[in-house]
Parts: sequence; C-alpha cells; structure tokens
Amino acid sequence: MDKQRDFVLRTIEERSVKFVRLWFTDVAGTLKSVAIAPAEIEGAFAEGIGFDGSAIEGLARTYEADMLACPDPSTFQILPWRGEIDPTARMFCDIQTPDGQPAAADPRNVLRRALAKASDMGFSFYIHPEIEFYLLKSSQIGPEGPVPVDKAGYFDNVPGGTAHDFRRRAVSMLEQLGISVEFSHHEGGPGQNEIDLRYADALTMADNIMTFRTVVKEVAIEQGVYATFMPKPFTEHPGSGMHTHMSLFEGDTNAFFDPSGQYSLSKTAKHFIAGLLRHASEITAVTNQYVNSYKRLWGGGEAPSFVCWGHNNRSALIRVPLYKPEKGQSSRIEYRAIDSAANPYLAYALLLSAGLKGIENEYELPPETEDNVWSLTDSERRAMGIQPLPQSLDHAVRKLEDSELAAETLGEEVFSYVLANKRREWSDYRAQVTPFELKQNLETL
Amino acid sequence: MADAKALGLTELARLGFAELEGTLQRLDQLVKIVGDSGRAAFAPLSQSANPDQALKALIELGERDSASLKKALKQHETAQRLILTLGASSALIDFLRRYPPALKVFDKSQSKLPSRESMRQALLAAASANFTDAFKCEDAWAALRRAYRIELVRLAAFDLTQTSPTEALPTVAAHLADMAGAALDAGLAVARHELTASTDHGTYTRAEVENTRVAVIAMGKCGARELNYISDVDVIFVAESASEETSTERALEIATRLATRMMRAMDGNASEPGLWQVDPNLRPEGKSGALVRTLDSHLAYYERWAQNWEFQALLKARSIAGDSALGEAYVQRTAALVWQSAAREGFVESAQKMRERVTDFIPENEVARQIKLGPGGLRDIEFTVQLLQLVHGRTDESVRVRDTLSAITALREGGYIGRMDAAVFSEHYRYLRLLEHRIQLSEMRRTHLMPTGEIPLRSLARSTKHKNADELLTTWERVKVEVRSLHQKVFYRPLLSAVAKLEDSDLTLSNDQAFDRLRAIGFVDPENALRHIQALTSGLSRRAAIQRSLLPVLLQWFSEGSEPDVALLSFRRLSEDLGESPWFLRMLRDASGAAQRLTSVLSLSRLATALFERIPEAAAWLEGNDKMQPSTREEIVAETQAILERHESIETAAAAIRAIRRRETLRLALGAVVGDLKLEQIEAGLTAITEGYLDGLIGLLFESTHTDVSSLPMSELVEFAAIAMGRFGGGELGFGSDADLMFVYRPKAATNDDAQRIVERFIADLRRLCADPVLEFELDIDLRPEGKNGPVARSLDSYAAYYKRWANTWEAQALLRARPIAGSAQLCTDFESLIDEYRYPQVLDEKSVIEIRRIKARVETERLPQGADPRRHLKLGRGSLSDVEWLVQLLQLKFGNQHPAIRSPRTIDALQACVAEGLIEAHDARVLQEAWILASRVRSASVLWANKRTDVLPNDRRVLDGMARILEYPPHSATALEQDYLAFTRRARGVFERIFYNV
Repeated sequence: MDKQRDFVLRTIEERSVKFVRLWFTDVAGTLKSVAIAPAEIEGAFAEGIGFDGSAIEGLARTYEADMLACPDPSTFQILPWRGEIDPTARMFCDIQTPDGQPAAADPRNVLRRALAKASDMGFSFYIHPEIEFYLLKSSQIGPEGPVPVDKAGYFDNVPGGTAHDFRRRAVSMLEQLGISVEFSHHEGGPGQNEIDLRYADALTMADNIMTFRTVVKEVAIEQGVYATFMPKPFTEHPGSGMHTHMSLFEGDTNAFFDPSGQYSLSKTAKHFIAGLLRHASEITAVTNQYVNSYKRLWGGGEAPSFVCWGHNNRSALIRVPLYKPEKGQSSRIEYRAIDSAANPYLAYALLLSAGLKGIENEYELPPETEDNVWSLTDSERRAMGIQPLPQSLDHAVRKLEDSELAAETLGEEVFSYVLANKRREWSDYRAQVTPFELKQNLETL
Repeated sequence: MADAKALGLTELARLGFAELEGTLQRLDQLVKIVGDSGRAAFAPLSQSANPDQALKALIELGERDSASLKKALKQHETAQRLILTLGASSALIDFLRRYPPALKVFDKSQSKLPSRESMRQALLAAASANFTDAFKCEDAWAALRRAYRIELVRLAAFDLTQTSPTEALPTVAAHLADMAGAALDAGLAVARHELTASTDHGTYTRAEVENTRVAVIAMGKCGARELNYISDVDVIFVAESASEETSTERALEIATRLATRMMRAMDGNASEPGLWQVDPNLRPEGKSGALVRTLDSHLAYYERWAQNWEFQALLKARSIAGDSALGEAYVQRTAALVWQSAAREGFVESAQKMRERVTDFIPENEVARQIKLGPGGLRDIEFTVQLLQLVHGRTDESVRVRDTLSAITALREGGYIGRMDAAVFSEHYRYLRLLEHRIQLSEMRRTHLMPTGEIPLRSLARSTKHKNADELLTTWERVKVEVRSLHQKVFYRPLLSAVAKLEDSDLTLSNDQAFDRLRAIGFVDPENALRHIQALTSGLSRRAAIQRSLLPVLLQWFSEGSEPDVALLSFRRLSEDLGESPWFLRMLRDASGAAQRLTSVLSLSRLATALFERIPEAAAWLEGNDKMQPSTREEIVAETQAILERHESIETAAAAIRAIRRRETLRLALGAVVGDLKLEQIEAGLTAITEGYLDGLIGLLFESTHTDVSSLPMSELVEFAAIAMGRFGGGELGFGSDADLMFVYRPKAATNDDAQRIVERFIADLRRLCADPVLEFELDIDLRPEGKNGPVARSLDSYAAYYKRWANTWEAQALLRARPIAGSAQLCTDFESLIDEYRYPQVLDEKSVIEIRRIKARVETERLPQGADPRRHLKLGRGSLSDVEWLVQLLQLKFGNQHPAIRSPRTIDALQACVAEGLIEAHDARVLQEAWILASRVRSASVLWANKRTDVLPNDRRVLDGMARILEYPPHSATALEQDYLAFTRRARGVFERIFYNV
C-alpha cells in the first residue's frame, strides 16, 4: 500500500536508517536476509529486488534462478538490537517469479493461498502460539550433552537468574518490534523458557514467529548465552513444543463459539477438530519436521503422541481449553503436536487446510478422550480407536507422500521439495552410528 | 378543444387514446363530476404516456373528492403535472389511492424540487411524529415511506413536464439519490428511537445509543448521485464510539443493530409498502464480513486485504446519511487508496476482469431487450468511462469524478476523448437512462428490460417523445449499434491518433498517453507496439486504409490474448507478406469472427502462424468450425492419387503431396487452437495425414522403375508393406510426433538379394522425399530388429527367422503397437500373424516380467536428459506417457493371449478394455488415463505454441499461459496448468508403482 510505503520511506529518512534487511523464509523454515541500502527501497517496492533463487533451499529450480523479493511495507520495523548508531530495519518479503506471479515455492505464499481459501469460505484464521526453547551456556556440547543455564523448573522464579533477565529483555524487544507478548515463564526443563505471543491473524503470526526466533537468538548472544529451538535437546528433559491455539472468525464473530454446544463448541469447531484429527498423521512431517522432532513426540511428558481430543486433557493431541462462558470471542482449540522448529507458514497452512477440509466435508467428530492417553495400554487404545502419530520422520514422510491434502495445500513444488528433503535427512540419519549403540553394544558384542 | 360529445372516434385516436368507445363515456363522466373544468384535461391527456390510464385515474380521483380535482384541473400547470404523472405511472396512481393527501403536491406552488436538507427534515418530521408512548416502529416506517413517496410524486411530475427530459436527467438522478439519503437518515432516526424505547433488539441505555456514531456511505449509483427511480441502494456502514464510557465493541454491537433496523425501515413490512432494498454487500469481505466496522477496521482491510475491484467500487463512495463527520472522514481516507490501486500489481488483470464482468452471463431471452446489460447497453458506456478514468486518473486528478456524465466531460476536457465522441457518448447515455427511468416509473419495478406488448411500448414511446413504438425501437437499435462501437472508438482508436493522422478525429493522444493505454491492456513494450501500429496504418494503399479502420478492434482482440506484443508483430508480418491479396482485405474489412480467430491464432500458435504465411487462403476456414474438421485418410489418399495421375516427375508430385500435408496440418492446428477439436480427433487427424502422406509417396515410388536392377517397376518385383510402430502405430500422433515405421517385403520377380537392394533404395528415396523443410517430418526406423545396426528392411522370412532366434522382451513389447498402414494386404496379414505369437505369448514367464521392470527402471534414469526434472518430462517423466504406456503394455503381454479384447495398439482403448476384462481397477485406470491424456495434450500444445518440439513442461510462465489457453483454460492459468500437470502425473505414478513394480 502506498500509504504504508510512504511511511516506510519517511521513517527511513527520519530515523537515518542505514540498512534495510529484506527477510523471507525458505521451505525448511530458515530465515533468509538480504540487506539493501535505503536508496534501493523505492525501487524494491516498485519492482522487487532480483536475487538468485537457486541458492535458496527449495525456492527455485536451478534453471529459473531469477526471483524477485517484494517487501511488504506493513511489516516494516526498526531492529532494536542493532542500536542507534547504524539503525537497521527489516521487512518481510513476498517472493515473485519474474512475471510478477507469486512464487509457488514461497512459504509465505503457501500460507496466503490457504488463507484465501478460508476467506472464500467466509473465515479468517487466528493463532496464538506458546513457544518453548532452551537457554544453554553455549552451543558447545559438554561431556554430559548440552549445558543449560540453570537447574530450575516449571514457573520457578530464579533469583538473579539469567532466564529472568533474558525474558524481560526479549519481551521488551519483541514489544518494540510490535509483537505483543501474552505471557512468559520458566518451563519444566532446566534452562527451558516459554513465551506466549498474543493472538493475531495467521500470516502476521507466522511473520512474528520468524522474528521471535531471531530476537531470542540475538538477546541470547547479547547476554552471553545460547538459545535453541531444537525440539528435544535433552533425553531426560521435556522437549520444546509450540502448542498453538487456533480460532476461526466470521467477520467479527468467533465461529468456534456456540453457547449451546458441548464445551460451547460450535458445529464449525467440531468439524474443524475432526478435520485436524483425520489429517494429523499426514501433516506431521511438516509440523514436526526433523528426526529429532520424534524424540520429543515419543519422549513422554506432555507430548501428545496419540490422535485424540479432550477438554483440558493435557495428553490429547487437541485440547479444548477452559474459558469463561461470557467470553465467547476467545473460543479456541489448541493443537499440541507442532514443535518450535517447524516452518510456521507451512505448518499453519496445513493445519488450517485440514480443519477446513473437516468443515467442507462435515467430518464427524469422534468422542472425546477423558483419560490420560499415556496411561492406557496399547490394546485399550486400539479398542478406543486412538491412532498414534507417526513414530519417526520416516514414518511421517510415508504418510505425507500419500496426502492429497498436503499436495494441494503446499502446491506441487513445495510438496515434492519437502518430500525429497526429508527423505534425504532420514537416510543421512539412518547411516549414523549413535552413542546409544556404542554404549549398548560395543562392550558386549 | 371541442365538447367531448363533438369528438369523433378518429379524433380520440389522434389524441392518443387506445380504447375509443369507452373513452367517450368516460369523458362524459369526467365532465359530469368536475363540470366544465373537465375540458381542461383534454390537452394534457393527449400529451400523457397512457391517456386511457390517466383518464380512468382522474375519474376515480373525482369520484372520491370532486372539489379537489376540480380545483386542480382549473390551473393549467397543475392539471398538466397531475395528468402526465397519472398517465406515466400506475404505481403512483396506487399511491394516490392509498394516500389521497398526496394530491396536493401537483399544485403549481409545489413544483419546485426541495433541497436535500429540507427533504431530510420532512422525512424526519414524518417519522418522528410517531415517537410517542404508543410507538410502533411499523407506524414510523409507514409515515417515513409516505413522506418519501410524496417527494417521489413531486419529482415524477417535475420530470414528466420537462420539455427536454434528457437535459433534466442528471438533475432527476441526483435528486433520487438525495431522496434515498433522506430516507436512510430518517430510517436511522427510527432505529435509534426503537433501540432506546424498546428492548426487542437488546437492552441498551439511551446514553450508549447516543454515544454510538454511525455513518452510512453510499456506493454505486447512489454514491455517484446518479440513482434510478428504483434500484438497490448500495451502502457501507462505519461506526465509532463517541465517548469513553461506551466501549468500541459495545458501539459496534449497537451500530449493527441500528444498521439492521434501518435497512428494515426501508423494506420491512408495514402498512405502506417498502421503498427499495438496501444492499450492504460491497463491504469488506462481502456477505461474510461484519456489517459494521470502525473506520480503522475499514482502512486496515483496504490496506491489507482488499481486491482491486473493491478499490474501483470505492471510486463512488460518498457519505450520505448518519454522522457526516465520520462519513466524510471515511471518504477522504479511502479516496487516497483508490488511486494507488491503479499503480498496484495486477492492474491489467483487473481491467480485464472488469471487461469480463461486462460480458457476464445475461439470460438468452433477455439479451435483445436489455437496456442496461446487453451489447450496446448502459454498462458498455460505464465500463469505457471507468476504464479511461482508471488509466488516466493515475496521473490526472481532474478525471477523478464520481458520476458518469461528469466523467465524460472531464475526460473530454483532459483531452482523452474527442469532443464529438464525448457529445455522442453523453447523449446516448442520457437517452438510455431516460428509457430506463420511464420503464421503471411505470410500475416502480426494478427492471432494465424493454417492455413487450403494444400498450407498454406505445406508452414508453409517448413518454420519451417518440412518435410511435416503431420510431422508439428504431432509434434504440441505432443507439445500441453506436454505443457498441464507441468503446473501440473511444479507447482503441485514439491509439492510432498518436502515430497517424486520422481525418475523422478531433483528438490526438500524446505518446505518453498512448503508452499508458497500451500498457493498461497488456502490451509490455508499448513503444514497439506503437511503431507497428504506425507501419500498419501509414500510406495511401487500400490495405492501410482498411487497417486504419480495423486496427482498433484488432488491438482489442490482441489485448485479450496472452502475448499482445507478439501477436501484433505477427499480424504486421502477415499483413506485409500478403500485401493487397483480396481475401485478406476482405476478411479484415468484414471484421468477422474469422478475423477475431485469426488474432487468436497469431497470439497462440507459432506453428499455425508459420504455415499461415504459406497457405494464406486457409483464413477462409476460420469462418466456421466445419472447415476446421480433420480430413479422413480416404479423402487425403484420393487427393494424392489424383496428383499421381497428373504429375510427370516424381519431384513435382512429391512437392504437391507435401503441400497437402502442410495444408491439412494447418487445418488441424487451427481446429485445435480456435476450433472445437478434442484430443482424439487431433490424434486421428494427424495419423490420417501421416498415413495419407506416406501412402502417396510410397505409391509414387512404387510405380517407378530402377533401370539398373530391372526394367520392371518395383511393384512387379516385390511385395511390400509398411508397419507403423509406437504412437503412430497406436494412431496417437500429436503435433511434432515422429512417425515410427518398419518395412517388410516378400520377393516376387526379383531374387532375394535384388529385392533387398531394391527395397533399401526405395526406403532411401522415401526418406529423401518425405523430408519437409517447412513442416518437419521425422521418419524414424530405429524400432526395427537390431535397431540402428540392423538392415532398414527385412523380408518376411528374415523377420520370422530373427524373432524365432533372437526376439527379446522389449522387441515383443514394441510389436504390441505394430500396425500395418500401407502396401500389400496379404503381406500385412501374414506379418501380423507372424508377430502375434511374440506379442501375445501364451505365458509371460516371471523372468521376462522382471526383465521388463528392470529395463523400465533403467530407462527412467538413463534416458532422461542430463539435468532434466523428471516431474516435468512429458514423455519419460514421473507418471507421464511412458509410465502409463509401459503399464498397459505389461498387461497386454501378460493377458493378451487369453483376453483378445485387450489387443489394441491404442493405449487408451487397451486400458479401457483391461478395465472391462477386470484386469485393472476402474479407478486406477481413470487416474492413468487422465495423466496420459493431459501429457499428450500438453505435448501437442507446446508444439502448436512454439513450432518446435519439446518434451519438457516449460518453466517460462508466458509460454505456460499460452499453452494453457490453447488447452482451453481461462486466461492467466500458467500456475493452474502446472499444478494440474504435476498433480495428475504424481497420482498416476502412485498407481504405476503399485501395479507395475508390484509394490
């Protein structure tokens, strides 16, 4: 928009911004950045900045290397950690092909397409993630594995602790970047923290998550520690999930809310949950995209390993949280499998599409699960029709392969890139001889 | 005027009455009721639209209240206002019946149109008179509507007594919009009272309701102050809280109730019928969006989500009722966004979409009667004006006005429309609007259709100052024809003025202005385009003269294609090549469907364009689908036979046969690009051409002699047959496909060695003769035994010996598609029974199955060109042609012996037979078939587009777009085609792997 463009150009002048970083995300979910001088910004708005897409994972096939990064002026922010000496700003970009069409392999475009589909059905999609991560003393791995900054636990207030300062600093930086924080606290594992972002539409939120990861890493560097979003860095401590609360709105009304429904859930909400449940296994390779992700999913604790839903059931894949009945606008459901290392654009596009599929085809919602699913036996679970999520990346990729929903949502380009990339990761992993094997076997065999 | 009694029936007819006998009595009756003043009614009656209707209404009014009527008729102007209104509108007669006091509006003293503000006051007063303890909203609605209709009567009387109603049209239309505003305002007041006085719609305190600011923004015709007598009123609601005591959420909730109740005030049930529908669907997110938003929420939406057309709709936004400060703020802040929209990406697309909306579906039986939507209707004018406003309004603020007539004036002043054209445009617009107004006024129905039936047509003619219905219809037809051509004249023709002197134009566009327009319609290089236009239109030749008048419409057609720049250049080339050839000039001059198809062909197919330059007369085929149907093999053979008989030398005969092939290929290309040919027809057609071509050339050589071997012609020396293989054998040739062949002979008068020599010579000659530099022909004989290392032909015995000793599985597999196409019938039969044994073996052992699978797996990796993306390779790629074909062939090898039904060289036929025989699931077969058909079609489309063969789905998006158009996708479907192809083949690959590799 031109008004926003004007705002950007004006701010660059007024604040003497020296560099503008153009941010976009590759298919794997890694943030990419191109810095340009303020003089180039006007041209970037008009025509985009050309770059060699073939250098970016999954973005372009080698023979169509020319891509355009088109900054979205509504995402302009001055980066707080760069200080005031050489102020640096950033904008997220949409990637286009040279003829000005959205690039099929741009994750942001994948999410935009899914949102457009929702909008055709009359919905807007809102998200509120709870992002967990570990603070470590450094990225060096000690003799006992990674070394956390403290030994505290859930909600612990650590006097004079790094984590506390860290969270205060990170939250204030996020606020400076226009990202509202709902909540932050120490999590269950030593050095593990959680920061919850205030709900926003899915595209803004995906942008925010990318920013969040950068901010957390930057603050850690500033404070001489190291932050990691790895899904499961410690065998014995809980993994880092990104539980995501979701809701659909029709105009200004929450479409998940119906005061007369069970748990005040509307029919729309029930179909949406049913859609997520039915397609959960197919999209796990994206919501939990690394070999390591499955160590979290199957490591016990709070991780949801089984496809079921429940009201306030902390072992279910989907939880319908408790909320005050008069607060119909805050009706939402929580998807608990996704982890902090997912590509948020792709993961949210798939979650949304799975839910919409449920609405479109009026999937029947299976009965709620009230028990702690972990405490059930395999045969009990089988009797109750509760399926496990994929148990490894390999298993998840096989599920993904057969998913029309994923192919349609991601687009054929991204779909086959993700498959190829994940197959490669699995085969590399399979080739490893692990410390586990050495410890178990070397001396006895 | 004479005494009623003295009037003859002829006289009455001349005055315009239709029911003559009854009229005499009625006139008497009128005089009885009102005395002599009744005579004063004669003159106005004779001017009225429907005198019979007016007279009956007068009598009815007189019977109810003769004194008032008498008084009214005494005053000439009053009488005229009354009677012309009665004659023109049965709906208003009904109103006077319901509410007699409205009669007073006809009084001369009441003729002045009130201001917007005083109407607002009047409607408000009428409604608020009901705000008593016994308040019922229906009473207030009825009072409001009556007050509105009093103004409607006043306006009708004003409108109908104008000497030039087309002059007055803008005043009337603007007044109607103001009346709507007044009604909405009063409706809002009723809604506010309702909310504070009752709890039917929720419990709100008076303070809360007062703190809720609501503004109504008019859009569309009401926004532009050019409203019809009756039409939906398009609105958008904006609300804010005026005080901190009321939260924004609460204010929005109240405002939503207010808006809903206000809309009901216009159309809900009450003792006085509703006025019109209020349509709030232009709001952000349309029907599914919130009815009311805050200003910030509106702006946020427009900044972030809005589509281009939504900005175009904002062009007309105007604050019309409710809180005017808020309304004005909305208009000002959104106005800034509108003109930026033209600079946005996708402007060209949105202009094209706008055009598509113009030609939207109109019910077939209504097209001819449509005043608004049909060809030459009001929407054509509005579209042209808005498009010009969007193109030139980016740089020139003076053309940014809301209503159509002011826009025409502004465009004229700005030098974007010629003075004459602007005058014609404006005149026609007023004329069509007047027709529409009069039709709607009659029954107050929302219609844009020319009435049928004698009486309504006659009334319409009389109320629009035509002599009679015939004159009305003739004039309307003439206007429609002119309006239809005006778009080209006003938008495209001035493009020529930038480079050529046009004798009949008073407008010269600057280069920059012409560039703006060319860019807006999709030309990437407007500078070059203008140069081509210059070349095509300059000079004194007849061609240049015709092109000067035709180019505007051609430019429009080019702009609708995928590559306007290329198409214009091709057209220039064609035009220069063809010079003054009469067929070309005739086709251009007639600007027929043929010329339009020509532009499509030039835009979409380089193959057809290249052949066109050789065979210009083919343009005649473009006139209808029947000339673009494939010829049969028999027709082609008959033609080549005639050539063989006529020609002396082999070379000239061969040249003539080559010409037939080019001509027939062009015919198919045209049929594929702009005709109605399906893939099967194209394949059958191309196969027939190839067979006819080879048959002709073979016949030519077969009858000639090789004196160095024998004095006998070849036909006496050997029996001979040609066997089609591969896609040719399957009868599945696409554009650019190779013709795979094998040759077999049996010596007659010649010795074995001689026969081999003769046949080899013959094949060398055939290959030389069939090569065609203009339209490539690739004769491929590599599928023969031993491939490139084997002899080019074998005797039947030699084939038998070879297959017996050496035949391996891949050769048996290739033979599945062997199909004799020319030569000795007996030899053909013998050859087929020889190979049947190998291609339909009694048992296909497991070793052979594994061998086939292994070869396939190797081919997948080895044959694929270096670096090619397997997902995009049309022939060898994932789930594409060869996957489907190998699978079908495996089934045929396995089961062909026991299931003769599946013995077909045609992939799809064989596949379907396999379904019928229960050898493959119907669902799996469908997935395979879809992928095979799409890959085949894409291959043909890519050759049509580029005139060269490629086996890879292109990456270039313009090429994809062009191919998609050939494949009958809607414009701009590059991504859709790519997605379809990748998805279809991905699914096919799944089926293939499961069945073929048995995984």
